[in-house]
Amino acid sequence: MSWSRAGISALFLLFVFVIQEAAISKISLPISGFSLYLAVLLGAMALEDRSGAIVLGFIGGLILDFSPTADSPVGKWAFVLTAIGYVFSTNRESIGDFTARPIAFVFFTAIGSVLTLIIFLMIGLLLGENSGSFSHNLVVVIGNGIWTLIFAPILLPLLVKWRALTLTSRERQ
Amino acid sequence: MAAGSNNRSRLLLVILLVTSLFLITLDLRGVSLTKGSRSATQSILAPIQRGFSDFFSPVGNFFGDIKNFGKTKAEVKELKAENAKLKTQLVLNADIQGQLTKLKGVLNLAGRGGFKVVAARVIGRGSASTFSQTITIDAGASDGVAKDMTVMSDLGLVGVVKSVSSSSAIVLLMSDPTFRIGVRIAGSQSIGVLQGQGSGTYNLQLLDTSGSIKNKDVILSLGSDNNRPFVPGIPIGFVSSVDHKNASLTQTATVTGYSDLNGLGVVSIILQAPSGDPKDSLVPKPTPTATIYVTSTAKPDTSTVVSSKPTVLPSPATKKATK
Repeated sequence: MSWSRAGISALFLLFVFVIQEAAISKISLPISGFSLYLAVLLGAMALEDRSGAIVLGFIGGLILDFSPTADSPVGKWAFVLTAIGYVFSTNRESIGDFTARPIAFVFFTAIGSVLTLIIFLMIGLLLGENSGSFSHNLVVVIGNGIWTLIFAPILLPLLVKWRALTLTSRERQ
Repeated sequence: MAAGSNNRSRLLLVILLVTSLFLITLDLRGVSLTKGSRSATQSILAPIQRGFSDFFSPVGNFFGDIKNFGKTKAEVKELKAENAKLKTQLVLNADIQGQLTKLKGVLNLAGRGGFKVVAARVIGRGSASTFSQTITIDAGASDGVAKDMTVMSDLGLVGVVKSVSSSSAIVLLMSDPTFRIGVRIAGSQSIGVLQGQGSGTYNLQLLDTSGSIKNKDVILSLGSDNNRPFVPGIPIGFVSSVDHKNASLTQTATVTGYSDLNGLGVVSIILQAPSGDPKDSLVPKPTPTATIYVTSTAKPDTSTVVSSKPTVLPSPATKKATK
């Protein structure tokens, strides 16, 4: 991942984050809310190579860390998403190119979203945070996974097109 | 080549993970590295949220209202294209009317308690990706709002101001699992601690071993030193079930909150509380319920004697009745 594309990706994620905070979170969906930001970030990470996924995870995590509604210590999301970036990239190498396998891409993103939230909660437990009742967290995690699964088929093709536009000529080769 | 690339990415992974851990450590040690940044983010987001709020307010509860869609489906079909603009205007007016009704209720409750308040509109909700339960309001430091101020709705306590920017503030809702408040039971005056559970119900634990909780008991805020973060006497909810565990020293109960935290439109922030404790004056007034007893007699000539005996029963579910 080139520096210029890392910068463009950061700006894009910031834009998605603003949409998430200002608009998506205003809609009360059944079960639990949908995190557009997490879906887009995980989708973008799944398309990158190993270093790219790690860097994107870290940048995406830092943006979430600076969310005014975040109640967790700064660096927690960055830690979780950097680790997820690594896990994503290693698994991606065994699955292959996601652009040719859309269904696998959708499921990979939805499962990634669930996994991210679970790891986030587990690290919260290690840090001694009170994250609420198990049943409530279960609903949040599963709800997010279901909504990601529903919206990912619409979002991910757009994400693939956007990424193709931002690739440098060297990266295209 | 591939091994070299793998080594580089592993090194990158380690560097970024260590950086994250360093940031976590700094934050947990209380280094105010992040407070300014989060406040700046909030200042940037608030005007955008306000703009989106006007647009999303009528459609925000779309999925919640979808169950009633069938009733209005026939009417919707009859609507013609030229009426669409008018209909949108009507929906917006209804939304504004709803907000005005809530504002009236909020000011009414604040007036009864003698609180000096500032009203605010809810312009955002906590992100789905964060587990904390918060709302963003369109009043901030320029309106006199400061951290740790009590926030209430027309029915009772909502939460506490968590952070403030110049024109907006984030309120930690009382349903958040980290939320704890000292409470007392109206009437018996037993004190306890109430904790959020992530939903509309709360866990109450009495501190007084000799105290007792009954179903329908009204719970009020106990108050804090200098009224920060909580002013005394704010209605919170009523006891919906009492846990009967012989093993525990003090009684615990489940409390149902008065405020519907999912449907908040307008709230008020208490800037100043009266010098005296309002005691139980803010306890919701029971709605009079008429009960009619019908007594049949055995006399063959008078088939049925109907005697009406109106009885006023205190209804704990005032929340629903007054809605």
